[in-house]
Formats: sequence, structure tokens, C-alpha cells
Amino acid sequence: MSGKLSRRDLVTAACAGAAAALLPRTAGSTSPPQVGAVITGDELPAREASWYKKLPESRVECQLCPRACQVADAERGACGVRENRGGTYYTLVHGVACSVHLDPIEKKPFFHVLPGAQALSYATAGCNVECKFCQNWEISQFRPEQVRSQYLPPETLAEVAKRNGVPLLSATYSEPVVFWEYVRDTAIAGHRLGVRSTVVSNGYAQEQALKDVLPLLAAMKVDLKAFTERFYHDLVRGELKPVLKALEIIKASGTWFEIVVLLIPGQNDSEQEVRDLSRWVKANLGAEVPVHFTRFHPTYRLTNLAPTPIPVLERAWQVAKAEGLAFPYLGNVPGHPGESTACPGCGTRLIRRVGFQVLENALAGGKCPQCKRSIPGVWS
Amino acid sequence: MSRRLTRRELVGLIGAGAVAGPLLARATSGPVVRRGRVGLGTLPPPPPGRALDRGAARAALERALVAATGEPSPRLAMAALFSPSDTVGIKLNCLARSLSPRVELVEALVGLLREYGVPAHRIIVFERSDRELRQARYTIRREGGDYQCFGVASDYDSEPSTSGEIGSCFARVVSTTCTALVGFGVVKDHDLAGISASLKNWYGVIHNPNKYHDNHCDPYVADVARHPFIKDKLRLTIADGVTALYHGGPAWRPDTTWPLGLVVASTDQVAVDAWAWRVIDDERRRHGLPTVEAAGRPPRFIATAARYGLGVGDPSAIKEVLA
Repeated sequence: MSGKLSRRDLVTAACAGAAAALLPRTAGSTSPPQVGAVITGDELPAREASWYKKLPESRVECQLCPRACQVADAERGACGVRENRGGTYYTLVHGVACSVHLDPIEKKPFFHVLPGAQALSYATAGCNVECKFCQNWEISQFRPEQVRSQYLPPETLAEVAKRNGVPLLSATYSEPVVFWEYVRDTAIAGHRLGVRSTVVSNGYAQEQALKDVLPLLAAMKVDLKAFTERFYHDLVRGELKPVLKALEIIKASGTWFEIVVLLIPGQNDSEQEVRDLSRWVKANLGAEVPVHFTRFHPTYRLTNLAPTPIPVLERAWQVAKAEGLAFPYLGNVPGHPGESTACPGCGTRLIRRVGFQVLENALAGGKCPQCKRSIPGVWS
Repeated sequence: MSRRLTRRELVGLIGAGAVAGPLLARATSGPVVRRGRVGLGTLPPPPPGRALDRGAARAALERALVAATGEPSPRLAMAALFSPSDTVGIKLNCLARSLSPRVELVEALVGLLREYGVPAHRIIVFERSDRELRQARYTIRREGGDYQCFGVASDYDSEPSTSGEIGSCFARVVSTTCTALVGFGVVKDHDLAGISASLKNWYGVIHNPNKYHDNHCDPYVADVARHPFIKDKLRLTIADGVTALYHGGPAWRPDTTWPLGLVVASTDQVAVDAWAWRVIDDERRRHGLPTVEAAGRPPRFIATAARYGLGVGDPSAIKEVLA
């Protein structure tokens, strides 16, 4: 028997390890599960969903994401984590965490949120789209009974963060929109203890669901996966338009947000597409939204493409700057100057990063120490 | 149609038969398919709250198998489909709990396989989860008894496999463990796909069926069924039509079931769906309901599967054989 672990095994082991390190183990689990209990398929705790409406003949319509799945009795939505049972829609992942880690906030990536801070990061199984290039497909593309999870209710996550001096919680890895009630309740629990919440999402959410949770968040990161409907149709199984609308809703809410664009060779990396995207961001969201252009590595169902060439990333970085974006960044290129924050006013380097590490932070009260220009973000 | 055996195959089969007992065994190079032929065995539903009579279930299944294969006896029907050296996986569809394949029918098939020479530890009755099986009155067992019975749970291949539009990790019981497969569904209406009897059942062996509900599951259902893990191993499709559902599926609804009174068997998995589409639409008309297509749920995946060469998808071209 080979001792080599698959990536999925590693995710599972990491989850179990993190939880074991942070929590006392409890034996067994009944309904409701005990905190820390391993959740198996037969024991998924069902909790009525918060965003859906009932339809005739025991059917329901989900109101979380733009898919608006109409789900018959005994069936699940496209996310695979919500089930219609006799005309009532349930989330099967409230408190059912399949991955829990302590990450630097730069890993999300947030470059304008408490630089160097740790975030207690958590995820459940499931996603509402199917990106052929998903880095975390072993959890995002599976149903909750197919991955190893532990019962970590919102209060527990908040308490663990507080007890360990971790200032941030982050819903991430898979797609937080599909476990939106868990995100909401964790943010509320964290708020009570002075721990702030962030979300890393694809932005594929309905307006009301977004508006209900945004006020509870310190920051949200949105993947803008491309700037063409073709890409969203062919490689994401989603749509671009609702994501752009979500970005406008987030902007209007006043919640801090950053954007990530994963550049994939030949798919969304043309100069014109980057230019169009940059112009739209500036016109609709403002020039000071950080936009991270990150490097693609082949994975999941897109293993036939090479990693994004560095010059292509650098071209995108230059195009974004030329179009007037104040804070374009490069990602997955450790050591590149594009990882660091410079003052758009005087050019002074403000935050020096290598990978997820902050080597230097010269910001003074959220301002450039040289020209005193305010740098937008969540700095304290 | 059964194909002619080469002399070498015949010698090999006789050799295998001498060891394992049966007079004939099927060739190992691919499934035998009698295109468009659907065998039917009558089996009236039991009174409410009562289980099927096991003898009657066995007799109905045998009639359906003989009719489906054209073989003169159930034993020769099994010989035409399986080898005693096969590991046979029987995929149930238990989502609808009370409208799942009946234990008595499934165990009748297990009995035929056992009598044919397939050992108990190489007969695997499976569904997605233990929970679904328990709810359908099956006993979970991974050893002992006449067969194994369990949910595939999280035991999937570690990498996705592509077939047409789908990219999925297949349950290892299908990709790796079994050498022969039986699809064992129920005849029912389906809210997304239009109908479900045969092909749709295979959604239960991929890790991400929820991703493939768009466009009435077309072409995704056919794409799963044409994957070599299924297409090359599938020997037989059975549908429990003792009680069937004409509206409101896939969940069980007592007010829209009807006593169809049939066990359905075929070596053509597409033909079973084409046949089920017709009988469900007929029943819907009797109740003043529009056809599934008129109701906005055209089961287009059937034509797609036929186009892929998996079987006959035209309901008017199905040859019903009532034994």
C-alpha cells in the first residue's frame, strides 16, 4: 500500500488536524451533533434554509444564487448542499466544516485588510458553479456526505478565533454562498466576540442574500473569473452579468472588497479583455478597488494548459495601471514587485510582500508616510 | 443481438463451464444487446402494507429475463449475460424511498446469479448512501449473507474522468471493483429529466450529479451512460414497474402512483427509458395531464443516448415481449 496521500486525503487530514489542534475531541455524534464530532453522510444536520420560497406540489425555489434552482421533493440544488424535504428547503452544511486552517489574510488574497493578520479560515463542501480550473475541487465539487467534515458551529469558530488571538474569520476555499447561513451566523457570533469576518466568493449570489449578509462583513473578495459570457458559459457553468451586478451591490454597501482575476492562457488573458475589465471596474466600482491578476496552474479538468506566462501577467498589470486602476497586483508569482503596495500618489512602496508574507509595512494610520495620501482599506 | 462466438471463445467457454457448472457462459468481450427489445413479466402489486410474495417476484423476473434475452430459460438467460467469474454490481435507485426497487425482486435476481455460480462476495447491491438503502428496507452488509449491500459513500476515483460534457469521479465500485453491471431502477416521472427508469439511474455513480441538471439533464445523462465504465460493463437493465409514478417524481407520491403490475427487463438500456416514457405519458393522459414533453420536461436524453448508439430511443420502435 502506497503511503502517498492524494490531494483530497491531504485536505481531509488537514481538516482533522486543525480541528484536533484547536478543539477537544468529543466521542460519537447523535442529532444534533456534538461540537467537533465527525459528520458522516447519515448524520448531516439539516437546518431550514433562509433564502428560498415554496412552490406548489412540494417544490421550492432557491433564492441564494442566480441559478434560482427549482427543486422537487427529495432533490438537491446545483450546489449539492441544499435539499428539498417535503416542500421545505434545508441546508445540510450549517456548521459542517470540511476544511479549517489558519491562513495569512494575504492568502485570500486581501492586500488591504489588516496586513500580516491571521484568519481562521473555514469551508464546507459544495459550490454553485463548476470551474474547470478549480483549485479546491476536491471539496467544492463534492456533496457534504462525500467529504470528511466536523461539526463546528458558528459560536465555536468564533470562540476558537478569539481564544487564539486571531482577529479574522474567513469563509473561503469552496463557495461561501452555498453555506451562506453558516457565514451569516459565524459573522454574528464573531461580532459578539470582536472577531471580524471576511468572505472569499465567486460573487454568484442574488441581491437580497448579499444585502442581508454584507453589513456583517469586514471585507469580501470576489473572483471576477473573466470578462466574457463565453468564458463563464464554457469554463464556469455560470454567467458574468450577475457577478458584475453583485460587485455593484457590494460597492454600494460600503463593505470593503477586492477583486481577483485568474488569468488563464488563451482563455481570458488577452490585452483587450484585461483593458475592458479594467475600464469597467474603474467606471463602475472606482479606481481604488484592488484587482489581483493571478497566475493559473493546470488542475482539475483544465490540465492541458500551461501555467500563465509571467510576461502575460505583467502585461495585464501594466494595462490595468494604464487604464487608471490605482491598486493592481500580481498573484502566485512570489517575489514579484507586483505583490507589493505602492502609493498611487507618490510611488512610495508602502507594503512589501513576498508570497503571503508581509516583510515591511510603512503605512501610517492608513496613509502614505511621504505624501500623506489616504490608502483605502481596513487597516485597524 | 447475440453475436456468433469464435471457435476459440467457444472452447474457452466450454472450459469455464466445466469448472463453474453452467452449460453456457457469455462471451467476455462485451455486452450482449438485443436492441429495442423489452421483456415484461406481470406481477400485480401486493395489498397495501404487504411485501411482494417472493415466489411470485422470482417468477415474474424470470419471465421478464427470458422475454428480454430470447433465451429458453432463466438459467440460459443468465448464461447469456454473465460469467460466473464476474463481480456483478446492481445499482439501485432508492431516492424515492417507498418507490424503490423492491427487496424481493432484487433478491430474486441475486438468487439467479447465485444459482448460476456467482459467489455471494462478488454480488454487490449498491446505491449512493447507506441511508437511502436503509430507507428502502435494505440491510447494509459488507460481508456475509447472499450478497453485499452498501452505499458508495465517499469511495470515488481520485481524479475526474470526462465523457462528452460531463467530468466526474466515478464510484470505484463501478470503475474498479465490478466487471458486470445491472441497472435496477423504478418506472417514474422525473421533475427535471422528464422520466426516470434506466439511464438516469447512473447519475448515482458520479460524485457531482447536481451539476448536470440543466437542459433536462441532456446530454449529461447519456454522457454518463456512454462512459466505458458503464457502457462496457452493463449487461442488463431492470425496472420495477409493479407500482409506477406518473407525476410528481422523483419523490414518491401516493396520489400519483398507479399499479402498472410489471417487471421490466432489457439488454438495451435506452429501450427501457423509451418504453417507460410511453407508458408514463399514457397514464398521464388517462388522468388528464399533459405529456411530460408538453409539461416542459422533454426527456431529450433518450434520443441523445440513441444517437450515441447506446440503444433504441424511439418509443414506437420498441418491441415489447410479454412472457
